[in-house]
Amino acid sequence: MKLLPINILLTLATCRLTSSETVGPTLMPLTSASALPTNSKRVHLTGKNKVENVELLNPANLSLECIWTGNQNKQPNITGFWRKGGEEIQDSRVPVAPENQQYRLQRVFNIVSEEHLGNYTCVFENEAELDFILAVPRIGEKREKPIVSYVGDFVVLTCKMEETKPVPRTWNWFKINGTDKEQLFEAQRYDITVIGHKTKLKVKDVSEADSGVYHCAAVYNISASTSKLHLKVITIWEPLKPFLGILVEVVILVTVILIYERSHSKKKEAEANGLNADPKNTQPQGEDEEAEERTSVRQRKT
Amino acid sequence: MTNRKLKSQSQGDGAEDPDGGWGWVLVVALFISTSLVFGLMRGLGIFFVEFVQYFEESAQAISWISSIGLAAQQFFSPLGAALCNAYNTRLVVMTGGFLSGLGLILASQATSLVHLYLTMGLISGLGWGLVFSPMVATVMANFTRRRALAVGLGFSSIGLSSFAFNPLFQLLVEKYAWRGALLILGGLSLNIMACGALIRPECRSKASTKADPQSRLSRPDLLQRVSSYLEVSLLCERPYLTYTLGVTLFNFGYFVPYFHLVAHSRQVGFSEYRAAFIMSAAGITDIFGRIASGWFSDLGRFRVVHLLTFWTALAAVFIMLLPVSSLTGSYTAMIVMSLLYGFCSGALTSMVFAVVPMIMGVERMMGGLGLLQLIESCAGLLGIPLSGWLRDMTGNYTASFVVAGSFVLLGSLTMTTLPHYFSCTEPPPPQRPVLVDNGDTLNLEQKDSCSSKFNYQTVEQTQR
Repeated sequence: MKLLPINILLTLATCRLTSSETVGPTLMPLTSASALPTNSKRVHLTGKNKVENVELLNPANLSLECIWTGNQNKQPNITGFWRKGGEEIQDSRVPVAPENQQYRLQRVFNIVSEEHLGNYTCVFENEAELDFILAVPRIGEKREKPIVSYVGDFVVLTCKMEETKPVPRTWNWFKINGTDKEQLFEAQRYDITVIGHKTKLKVKDVSEADSGVYHCAAVYNISASTSKLHLKVITIWEPLKPFLGILVEVVILVTVILIYERSHSKKKEAEANGLNADPKNTQPQGEDEEAEERTSVRQRKT
Repeated sequence: MTNRKLKSQSQGDGAEDPDGGWGWVLVVALFISTSLVFGLMRGLGIFFVEFVQYFEESAQAISWISSIGLAAQQFFSPLGAALCNAYNTRLVVMTGGFLSGLGLILASQATSLVHLYLTMGLISGLGWGLVFSPMVATVMANFTRRRALAVGLGFSSIGLSSFAFNPLFQLLVEKYAWRGALLILGGLSLNIMACGALIRPECRSKASTKADPQSRLSRPDLLQRVSSYLEVSLLCERPYLTYTLGVTLFNFGYFVPYFHLVAHSRQVGFSEYRAAFIMSAAGITDIFGRIASGWFSDLGRFRVVHLLTFWTALAAVFIMLLPVSSLTGSYTAMIVMSLLYGFCSGALTSMVFAVVPMIMGVERMMGGLGLLQLIESCAGLLGIPLSGWLRDMTGNYTASFVVAGSFVLLGSLTMTTLPHYFSCTEPPPPQRPVLVDNGDTLNLEQKDSCSSKFNYQTVEQTQR
């Protein structure tokens, strides 16, 4: 990518903001072939490393600027260059001289499609590095656990982009078969609804073949952001196994309790028969309440 | 022989059984069945999210499931009590266990929200109603000296099971989806049948002794029998009415913190986890409060009604202090207040039930509890929406908490109007007035409560 002189001049002329938030596209009467808007991002680096996330929705000319505050060495000349995805960009090496004790490296990148996204690094050789990660907004909520459904039932898979992030142009759903990615469309068994930041895929009358990994993709002008969902279809037999186990346990418990009681009451009856010969016999414990109770019982009944 | 009949009748009257022995087995049964009724009800919140997603209904429509379940449990309590008086307690509790399990099992096959209302709400609710009051009444009938401790131990299960059930239910839902989870919960609920099986059929003699004098009266109408099983006569007695009014007032305010504390903490500014932990703190001390107050009241130093008013007044104060402590913004203050509130709330629960035999006598406990549950259910159902409405009107929860606390305080003051409140010892509990046997008319309310040596029940209850 060549640096157009006009681009440099116009970028320099752009208002400089102190915050490191993305600036909106600036209006400029470009004579260059592309009518792309230009965004700029300027980040200060104080230590040795820093990572900056940049969200992009639309193709643009992105001007990335790193300002390094230097260190104790105070070298007069440092070599600076840019890397994309780990590899040095050709012809990007420039000598950097300090201005007001700050070293500045800046470059404009033409971001039009998915392959232009990635990791861009501005390097002050042997001194410091600043990473710019160019990507589409990522889907925040991820459900790691599989969604479970039963054969014959329906299941609803949802994907949601955070409200604070920009609305995707549309959503797409895919099913992964081995290495193939098959796009799902509105059909007999599939119902796809798209409401702004949310999307739902309703799979009706599921069978075990529907188990697997699904992708939902939030489509933006420049690229799409995907999220994975795992669907697991089971039969009613799965929960039935522990259920039957519990059922058996309850039956056994109840039977044991009733049998124990029957044998116990038979013992009690035998005792009562034995004690019948001596009606005034109080319990051998001789507790106060028992004795008083017996006297009062006799008092009550007579 | 008449002597043997004497013995079996005296052993059939629960109040005369010695503490301990089989009584403790029944406490275990109460522990398990209460956890499977109330602990389960509290854990149903996990299914809330799943239902909203699956049925695509509003949050309010889904909340009705729990509301119907709770309302059914309280509404059918008198029915459960009446059936126990008429028939066999064991049979009623086992049927209740079966129904509660059946409701959940059927709910696992639901295809619409109405199905859930009918199965999870109505059928399970009916089952729970047939289980709770009878079990509590049975345990209380089997204890005299250690009554409050036994009941406190039984109720401590609610707090413990809420802790255990939340992660368990979450696990079940993740593994089997809500259908499978409900099926397994239905199976777990069937364990209540085993708890019911532990009840010895001694109540049968109680029912027959009750039935016999009834039939000797001039009109053995069905209506009269039913009203005696339901203990409707209690509604005409001032102590019972006072007590019921007090408990109803408690219920207006008691549930408010459970429902709104987390939301209030979030509003004050604490994160989700911190807010949830404030609630958990209250839950932990709740368990200890129940057991400790039960044990303490059984020591006999103070009268149970006095302890009841003490704990409820304290709980009211802490409920009102909850929003005040959050004004300081300090997390520690909120945790401390929440711990104190939890302890008092658990303590008052034990006392509320321990006072019951004092008010209505051990024999009428079954029906009395049933009626009580029914009447207090109205307050529970109204209290939450009221506090929610106050919050909507004022914008924060301070008003709701203060009003809730004042209701509890009002209830506490109502309790002080109970007859013989300010006396030093327990008055004799009122006896069922319909018993034909003239020998025990001296057991009716005595004016001079300090010389109550003639009443054997009083002697048992005031072991000093």
